[in-house]
Formats: sequence, structure tokens, C-alpha cells
Amino acid sequence: MHSNRYTIIFTMLLTMVLAFALSSVYSSLEDQTERNIQADIKKNILSSLGFTPNANMPWTTENVETIFKNSITSIVVNESGDIVSGMLPEDIDPKVDKNVYPLYKKITNGKVDGFAIPISGKGLWGTMYGYFAIEPDGATAKGITFYKHIETPGLGAEVDKPWFQENYKGKKFVDENGLLIGIQTVKGKVDESSDEAYHQVDGISGATITSRGLNKFLLKDLEIYNPYLIQIRKSFNS
Amino acid sequence: MEHYLSLITKAVFVENILLAYFLGMCSFLAVSKKVDASIGLGFAVIFVLTITAPVNWFIYGYLLGDGALTWLGFPDVNLSFLKPIVFIAVIAAMVQLVEMVIDKFSPSLYQSLGIFLPLIAVNCSILGGSLFLVERNYTLMESVVFGFGSGLGWFLAIVAMASIRYRLRYSNVPAKLRGVGITMLLTGLISIAFMSFGGIQL
Amino acid sequence: MALLSKSSKAAVSDPLMSNNPISLQVLGICSALAVTTKLDIAFVMTLAVIAVLCISNTVISLLRKMIPSKVRIIVQLSVIASMVILTDLILQAYMYDISKQLTVFVSLIITNCIIMGRAEAFAMQNGPWKSFLDGLGNGLGYGIILIVVAFFRELLGSGTVYGYKVVPEALYAAGYENMGLMVLSPGAFIILGLIVWAQRILGNVEEE
Repeated sequence: MHSNRYTIIFTMLLTMVLAFALSSVYSSLEDQTERNIQADIKKNILSSLGFTPNANMPWTTENVETIFKNSITSIVVNESGDIVSGMLPEDIDPKVDKNVYPLYKKITNGKVDGFAIPISGKGLWGTMYGYFAIEPDGATAKGITFYKHIETPGLGAEVDKPWFQENYKGKKFVDENGLLIGIQTVKGKVDESSDEAYHQVDGISGATITSRGLNKFLLKDLEIYNPYLIQIRKSFNS
Repeated sequence: MEHYLSLITKAVFVENILLAYFLGMCSFLAVSKKVDASIGLGFAVIFVLTITAPVNWFIYGYLLGDGALTWLGFPDVNLSFLKPIVFIAVIAAMVQLVEMVIDKFSPSLYQSLGIFLPLIAVNCSILGGSLFLVERNYTLMESVVFGFGSGLGWFLAIVAMASIRYRLRYSNVPAKLRGVGITMLLTGLISIAFMSFGGIQL
Repeated sequence: MALLSKSSKAAVSDPLMSNNPISLQVLGICSALAVTTKLDIAFVMTLAVIAVLCISNTVISLLRKMIPSKVRIIVQLSVIASMVILTDLILQAYMYDISKQLTVFVSLIITNCIIMGRAEAFAMQNGPWKSFLDGLGNGLGYGIILIVVAFFRELLGSGTVYGYKVVPEALYAAGYENMGLMVLSPGAFIILGLIVWAQRILGNVEEE
């Protein structure tokens, strides 16, 4: 039918045509795709800080970039709580820069209206990723969101639900002596009359390990930013 | 160790590649009519999945991923968009290998599997397994464990279905429901059963 | 050959009901279950599959006399895989949110038996226009099932249709709860089984 030589030439030609088509489409779309990925990260930061999309301002890539540019200042802090000047979160190269951490400040009408820090750690089935937002006083929770995890739907994955996340708003993660204690889930509902209620949220039934993991890594990440937050608390209270 | 145990449990029960992710349905529906063919195909799938997972892990890690070609001096190259086509080529080659091995060692199994053996190459579960391990950033060991676990889960699902269909052969299934319809409903019930494993804490 | 001759029309309309790729040819089930949790995802997936089907069918049909028989399957697979990768790249650039929800299932279109099946069974034996129509017909047939399944799963499982809340608040207050099982995998299997049953009854198909 077709000779071997024909087969080889045909397949080589086909490969070249396909490779050319794929590579050119890839390179021409690369930038837009990268912008989409970055915008996706920004969306998570925005929603932890209380921004929501609405009909007038749907969260397209362009809109997200605009909102972020207008309302968020990104900085990088080190383990001592000092701002690393001239560095932006995008510049952090995990292989090279150690002990530097991104932080996002929400600016409303020229004043600092909140902070957002990335949080991550082990749940039950894998690593969970999210953002935790803090009020300008540096001691109260403003919001919490998760953008990546593989927890069980109906159990650990309830962390995505508004009912779980709303409970964090207004809870304090430092005690009256200024000591960092984090926010913990309890079994069932929080006993509002208890002295400990100020740093507790309702638990998710059937998701003990996910909750324990969350409590742990939330505290771990707050400890990383605590040197910076201590300064914030001091200047807020003075 | 515990981590790998939990990974296998997840791949076999909670996130069963067929009952939770719907991959591998075509051959599942067709071959589950006979129990021994199902067992044979199930083993073949376990084998192919366990082998292709680490092979594709290497290929993604050292050829296709972002910065994978650093060892050749091209740190900025990102060929990850080629992964579907490269993975499927690798899988097709592996399946060819498995075919030759089965033909050598068990010609009767080869006969009964018929067209379904080469069809493993386009079985979504094999390609799906490789794509999942890239998406979840598994290490080499995790990939092998995941591949084996997924294959085992698929095997369990198809053998269970074949056994149930064998039991049902004298039941009075409504005419239009026979075949695909009843199999879908049964799979739904098995899937609910497997969901009960979601409460496991290791 | 008339543009829309009887056989051309049949090429498009047959796969919609009497020869539906999912319920009757039993192909492409994997994605019918995976991407039907919500209508918008199902819709985009349908468009992607129609695009890949039409283009790969047409390309393979144009090349059919030139493809060496030894590498027939490989050539088909390469063309299909390339079309899928192109579709995935375009989705990531212009419909990022939906592509994130589709994750690997766009890439898995490659293994969607419908596409390989039509390429081998039809495009290799017929002209490009007819192959295009065949791709379109099968894609639409696939799409109908997807959309029907997604409609029920989204309505029963989340109380919405294409993202718009449809179940009135009063019903929720009276104690109605969304059937979470519909959004999870068992719901998909059960709904598909019922739909296949319904379609076979409506289409008066011969039993197996």
C-alpha cells in the first residue's frame, strides 16, 4: 500500500505541522493564561478581605487587576517583622529567598483597613491552602477563605461553606496579655457564655482531623507573622 | 508509611477512580458482563497503571514540566502543555508491552479480552491517573502508590459489578433498562457504598 | 452532492436520538458523569467536544487517503490529541474559571471513545463535509445528554439552574433541603441510568 519511506515522511511532516501549531498557540496565549492564574490568586486574597463580586463588577481578570491595584498594597516581611523594602510577593523565589513572607494590606480611603496572610497546612487528605484576613488592630480575625484542598465533601470540605467562615469574623487570636493563641474549633457549637469563646468557632461534625490540622497550621502561620503583628498592635493601641 | 497507607486507602475507596471520578467507564460497562474477563482486565489495568504512573512522572519531571529541562541547559522551557499527547504515547507503548506479555503467558485470557486489551490505551483511567499525579504534585513514591491504588480500586469496582450482574442474570429487569441502564443504577449504589469509607481516619 | 442532502441531514439528526453516542452507542460516558454537576460546566464541555469532534473528523477525512495504514490509529490519536490540547489552551486563556472546574477532564477528551470511534468508523470512509456533519451530530447528541443530566443534578443538588436560584426560599424554610447526593458521584450514575431508560423507551429501541 504505502511504502515505509512514505510512512516515515508522512509521520515526520505531520509531527512538524502539529508541533508548530501547538507551540505557536501556546506562546501566543501564554501571557493571558499567566494573567488569569495571577488574577485567580488575587481573587482569593480579595475575598478573604471581604470583597465580593457583584453584577456591576464581576470578577473578570481585568476587573480583579483593577480592584487589586486600587485597594491592595503588597509587601514582604521577614521573620523579625521588618518590611523588606523594594520586594513584592511576586518576586519571592521559593528556591532562593528563605524566611520572607508576603502580606497584603487593604487600603480604604487612604487608611489601612485590614491585612491578609497566606495560610497552608495539612488537613486530613492533603495540604489545604487559603488566606486569613486580620483587622487593622492586628488581633482580630476579618475573614478566612480556602482556595485549594482535597478534603471530603460534606465533612472537611465544609471549610468552604459560608457558615463556617463567617464564624471567624470578629474572633480574637491574642489573649488579654497579648499572647498569640490562635483560633480553635470546638466540638459542636461554641458556648458563648464561656471565657474562652472569644477565640473559638463552631466545629464541623465528622471532620475532627481536618479541624485539628486547620487549628494547628493557622497558629503556625500566625506565629510567622507575629513579629510584624506585634508592631501593628502596639501602634494601634497607642 | 502512614502517609502511603492513607494514600492507598484514598485511591482504592474514597476517591475510587471509577466510582468517584468516573474514569474507565467504557470498558467497565462492556467487560463487566463476564466475571473472569473482568478479573483479567482488572489485573491488566492494575499493571498498566502501576507502571505508567512512575514513567510519566519521570517524563513530566525531567522533560515537560516548568524548568524540567534545566539539566539540559534550558531552565526557562515549559512544555507541560504537551503532557496529554506524550503521556498517551507512553501509555500506548506500555499497553503494547502488556499485550505481548499476556499473549505469551495466557493465550486464553488474551482471546477472552479480545479488543479490550488494546483499548486499555484509551481507557480514561490510565491517562487520568497520570494527569492526576501531575496535578497533585506527587513524589515518585506517591505516584507509584497512587497508580497501584487506583488500579486496585478500578479492579474492585469492575469485579464487584461483574459479580452483581452475574447474580442478576435471571432477574426480571425491565426491557428498556437492561444493559447500560441497570448497570448505571447499580454503579450508583456501589458508589454510595464506597462513599461510606469517607469517614475513615487513619 | 447537495449541501444539505437527505444523508447529510441524517448524519446530524441520527445521533441526536436514534443513534445517540452516549445512551445508545454507549460511548463517552466518563465525562457525561464528571462534568455535569452544573449546567455552565456541562455547556462548555459540550462546546469543547463538538469543536474537537468536528475539526478532527474533518482533518482526518481530508487526510484519509494519504494516511499510511500502518500508523492509522497513531495518526488519528495525534490529530485528536493536538486538537484537545489547543482547546484546553484556549479555554485556559479565555474561560479560566470554567477550565479550572473542568481540570483534567478537558485533556481526557482525548480518550473520549466518541471521538476515536467516529474518526475510525466515519471520517476514514467519508468526505470532509459529511464527516464534519457527523462530528456535529454526534457532538450535539452527546451535548443533549450532558445538558439534561446537568440540569437535573444542578436543580436537585443545588437548587439552581445555570447559577440562578430557582427553588424558592419558602420551600427551604418549609424544610426542603438540597439533595447533596446529586452533586456527588452516585447521583450522576443514577440520573444517567434513568435518562438512558427514558430515552430507550421514547426512541423505542430494540432491547439488548
